Amino acid sequence: MVFFRCLLATAISVAAPVFSFAAEGGLPLPAPGTYTLNRIQRAPFAIVREGTDAPRPLADYTTGAVTLMTFFYGHCANPRGCPLAWRVFESVRVQIRNDASLQRRVRLVFFSFDPAHDTPNILSEFARSYQSDNAIAPWRFITAWPEFTLAPILRSFGQDIAVEPNSATEEPTVINHLLKVFLIDRDGWIREIYTFAYLDPPVLLNDIRTLLEETNAGE
Amino acid sequence: MSYSRRKAFFLTVFAMIAPLGFGGAASADETCLSPYTAALIKGQESYLHVWSLGEKSLGDESDKLVTVDVDPSSASYGKVVDKLSVGGRGEAHHMGFTDDRKYLWAGGLDDSRIFIFDVGSDPSRPKLVRTISDFAQKTGFVGPHTFYALPGRMLIGALSNSKTRDGVTGLAVYNNDGEFLSAHPIPLADGGDGYGYDVAINPQKNALLTSSFTGWNNYMRDFGQLVQDAEAMKRFGNTMVLWNLKALQPDTIFNVPGAPLEIRWSLNEGDDWAITATALTSKLWLINRDAQGRWQGKEVGVIGDPAKTPLPVDISISADAKTLWVNTFMDGKTRLFDISNPEKPVQVYEKVTGRQVNMISQSWDGRRVYITSSLLSNWDKKGADNEQVLRGYEWDGKELKQKFEVDFFKEQLGRPHHMKFSARSFAERR
Repeated sequence: MVFFRCLLATAISVAAPVFSFAAEGGLPLPAPGTYTLNRIQRAPFAIVREGTDAPRPLADYTTGAVTLMTFFYGHCANPRGCPLAWRVFESVRVQIRNDASLQRRVRLVFFSFDPAHDTPNILSEFARSYQSDNAIAPWRFITAWPEFTLAPILRSFGQDIAVEPNSATEEPTVINHLLKVFLIDRDGWIREIYTFAYLDPPVLLNDIRTLLEETNAGE
Repeated sequence: MSYSRRKAFFLTVFAMIAPLGFGGAASADETCLSPYTAALIKGQESYLHVWSLGEKSLGDESDKLVTVDVDPSSASYGKVVDKLSVGGRGEAHHMGFTDDRKYLWAGGLDDSRIFIFDVGSDPSRPKLVRTISDFAQKTGFVGPHTFYALPGRMLIGALSNSKTRDGVTGLAVYNNDGEFLSAHPIPLADGGDGYGYDVAINPQKNALLTSSFTGWNNYMRDFGQLVQDAEAMKRFGNTMVLWNLKALQPDTIFNVPGAPLEIRWSLNEGDDWAITATALTSKLWLINRDAQGRWQGKEVGVIGDPAKTPLPVDISISADAKTLWVNTFMDGKTRLFDISNPEKPVQVYEKVTGRQVNMISQSWDGRRVYITSSLLSNWDKKGADNEQVLRGYEWDGKELKQKFEVDFFKEQLGRPHHMKFSARSFAERR
């Protein structure tokens, strides 16, 4: 448990400041629903695991609600990597909890590409940290089996990773990756992909609201 | 290990790996690529990919992707190590990497075909993995020119349209698998002329800039005849458009007379200006914000003697945004401007680098500069002046020193135009 707390604290404490997308001089964000997000590609079919539960289709985590998903690993300390994602997701989650129009309609997903270290127990601990208000602002932690399903999932999402050779065996493995966050609509289409240069909570929330307005129009 | 020790370890490791380009792209690639492009080459590039126009009665006559070894430590330095013909002559012109830098998209201005090459698996041996042949049917545009990476997508700036083949055109978005997603016409109202050419994004400002050239009717015409046709010469772009990037909607239209071509944003974090060169009027224009914070376009300098129409055709900005290379086609000169004050560019160097020069690309550290000769198949010079070469130079801050030359006619490779870098280490990193 102490280890887990350190892991989480490390992840959040080294996060770079979230860049303000709507910085001075930038063009304003268009109002939600006034612009279209391309249907870039479908989230792939895949089998994943959450905690010690039985295997489940990835679609359980990418359909039925607007989903914000990123790939991560628990030991990541790159300020422009996973710690930034933690911070941005936490910021988005606060907004979801405080906005009735977002509650129960938006799901956050962290997908570990390091199942060797992010064991079911570790992922369950992560999930427990966000248990409060989980019904209105769910945050799920999933992974896959490296020998079977992980590589094709990463390939489908265009998420490259590269494991750093680790000479000091006592240290955690470093997995180089370019942070990507995927916005997925309730039908499982990837509608936006954010890298760190574009990862700003107001932008994400604007896009989330745009997708929810689509849903409203279709209902 | 204690928390503080582990944190220190992580930060040390990050400092070591950050230059590799993982864990967050830098604000741009080798000075002109999309800011979303991963795997930056900030050290020595290994290969130069050259998109070359096929030439009738020369070799297999086909457009081709030519790969040249540009690593000085290599035994094949300055030599062609691969050539990949695509079949037919479609006016090969520009290229662009996908955001993951694994694939290189290359377009034909005449036949509007788009070729997707795998350059990630083995950059010394690119493979053609997909050809898009219905660009005009899907988008209504022809002449796919600029290929600019968005996350998971490719933004394509076109030059013309399939109905009138004049300069009214637009932008198209494809996913990385080559599937068409959307089309966005360049504005004709509110001072817009509908023309297109380059695209360039500043993500931090939610800003996309486009520039404007001319349509198929002009760019496929013999240049000598074209300049004699006063009416045709009126049909060149005179605008730049600032788009709201998120909405992909035009925001502001700037009057920039004389066909503004390549656009280069300053790569310094927090900077909010871009520079371009106008081909016909031979001017440098700055896009920035005025004292009231409003976006504006303004002329800030001349290139050579505009009365002699030197025809600036390509620019390359340094990574620190302090200098700008400018190639002028007609006089064959490569010029360097000090743009440390972008409001007042000053030319500090010039050299004749060919009888006709077109594209110019520099390495991230600015020490290596590459030029090619071909502009368009029907606009290139004739006779002895029609040399077709790739030349590689070293820049020591004072002088361009030629290190190698590939004679594309002699080696039956056609007319070299656009260039992109790749690195062996990228293949290893995969």
